Amino acid sequence: MSKIIEFTNICKQFKIPEKKNGKWSFLSNFFKRKYKIIQALDNINFSINEGDIVGYIGPNGAGKSTTIKIMSGILTPTSGECIINGYIPWKSRKEYVKNIGVVFGQRSQLWWDVPVIDSFELLKDIYKISDEEYKETLNILNKALNLEELLSRPLRQLSLGQKMKCELAGSLLHKPKILFLDEPTIGLDAVTKLAVRDFVKYINKVWNTTIILTTHDMNDIEALTNKIILIGKGKILYNGSFDNIKHQYANEKIIQVEFTKPYENVYLDGYELISHEKNVATFKTLNNTEFHTKSFLNEISQKYDIVDFSINSLSVDEILARLYKEYKL
Amino acid sequence: MKNINISIFKMQFKKELQYRAKAISGITTQFFWGIMYICLYTAFMSSELINGFTITQMAAYIWLGQAFFSLRYPGMHSNAGYEIEQGNVCYKFTRPINLYNQWYYEYLGEKLASALLRFLPIIIISILLPTNYGLSMPVNFSSFILFIVSLIIGCLLCVSISMFSIYFTFVTLSQKGTATIIVAISNLLGGSIIPIPLMPNSVQNVLNFLPFRYISDLPFRIYIGNIGITDGLIQIGISLFWLVTTILIGKILIKKALKKTVIQGG
Repeated sequence: MSKIIEFTNICKQFKIPEKKNGKWSFLSNFFKRKYKIIQALDNINFSINEGDIVGYIGPNGAGKSTTIKIMSGILTPTSGECIINGYIPWKSRKEYVKNIGVVFGQRSQLWWDVPVIDSFELLKDIYKISDEEYKETLNILNKALNLEELLSRPLRQLSLGQKMKCELAGSLLHKPKILFLDEPTIGLDAVTKLAVRDFVKYINKVWNTTIILTTHDMNDIEALTNKIILIGKGKILYNGSFDNIKHQYANEKIIQVEFTKPYENVYLDGYELISHEKNVATFKTLNNTEFHTKSFLNEISQKYDIVDFSINSLSVDEILARLYKEYKL
Repeated sequence: MKNINISIFKMQFKKELQYRAKAISGITTQFFWGIMYICLYTAFMSSELINGFTITQMAAYIWLGQAFFSLRYPGMHSNAGYEIEQGNVCYKFTRPINLYNQWYYEYLGEKLASALLRFLPIIIISILLPTNYGLSMPVNFSSFILFIVSLIIGCLLCVSISMFSIYFTFVTLSQKGTATIIVAISNLLGGSIIPIPLMPNSVQNVLNFLPFRYISDLPFRIYIGNIGITDGLIQIGISLFWLVTTILIGKILIKKALKKTVIQGG
């Protein structure tokens, strides 16, 4: 598989005015401004293969959107090199953007006052799509996203989920090679979220579109991506498969036990007691010890009379929170 | 394959046609202002003739200004202003088109649609008003043709001057302030507040060297016969010069602004 995106030593600095606090500071701020340099991206290196779905994750303010903006040609990095699909995005913007699609979950690219189909038709003209191709693409998108009824309505009448479906379709009309999704599932209900996920997968499969996705919803990542890039404070902290990370935490289990009667001073060798209330206690496996249901049950039933128990692995959200903590983000 | 700019123009046109109430209220407002201005200047022009400008001509000048209000009123392209303030402009960057052209045609579409919806009722009713209060017929056919030509150039010039406000919005991140300043300057210097023939000769001489009076003052005065055919042709040439100059400056400014732009947040 060929590399479609290559980032080499990309840095981005922002200069922002520094505000002093204090009673009269607004006056001094007005006359004299001090600027502060913020390093949004610090030596970012990565490459992405054609046809990959890559999750780009990190806490708020880590530099995710900045990276997406550089990749989509909106921002010029302070230094470094980046070649995407054979172009340098910010240098040959007009040629480059013909082959990318972008969806910013919090912004809209369609026209607010007119029916969605009119917006689509304008996009068709902007990207110079031929009539047959447009019809065919729209047909595919229509089927996959169930747009039929929405197209004749003005964007302002659509719900958030319906809008997002239209935005996705709008960004794919010209069959881009690369699709950037910046928080595509933000604010969506469970059903729409699943629909969007299925659609992204489908597009990746039928058109072999390379998809770069930022999100805070770890289920998106788990369902969609085959690779994640974790960024924090402008640096890349992890670049690899998500399963690897999950494996690292696979041994950690949380076991909740219900007793027949309340016990005092519950204690079990080899496990950490997280909480204990009347007749319910929660244990956690100690660092990197493997969990065996049989031995756990043996041990606990020797000491206490138990009615019920449940074993849980760490959720993906908890894993991510753990990661952030580990990297001190 | 259709021209993108025409598609953009058509889109804006369609958008403007969505709102009927806006057009109706626009017409009402224009009537109110027209009558108010005419009453005001009739009171001032007790001597009937100022600088070769009659009350009948003044009334026609005012009514034309109201009928073609949107063509002569520079301001802020509301869409662009909103896009820049909110950051939605980032989508524009991801399209394979020239941003200046796109905004230009959008704004032109907005202006033309709004003019088309309003000008006919105002023209018809103002023609029916009594002389000295209503709109007189054009002096002759050739000046009417010249009026149409200069009005089209004036409208294009109006849009290209309005485009400056997009640049200033990029710099200041506020669309209200920049639009207000540009509207105030061009309305005053372009004769939309006080008809230019009513201004002192020395002021008129200065205004001839600025682009603003070629937006609406020139076409209206050709219509009422205050500017003759030969003079009119020369001045149309000057307005063409200003049109090209303002578009070039606008393009350079937008290009400069885009280089520095940082899309913040989310």
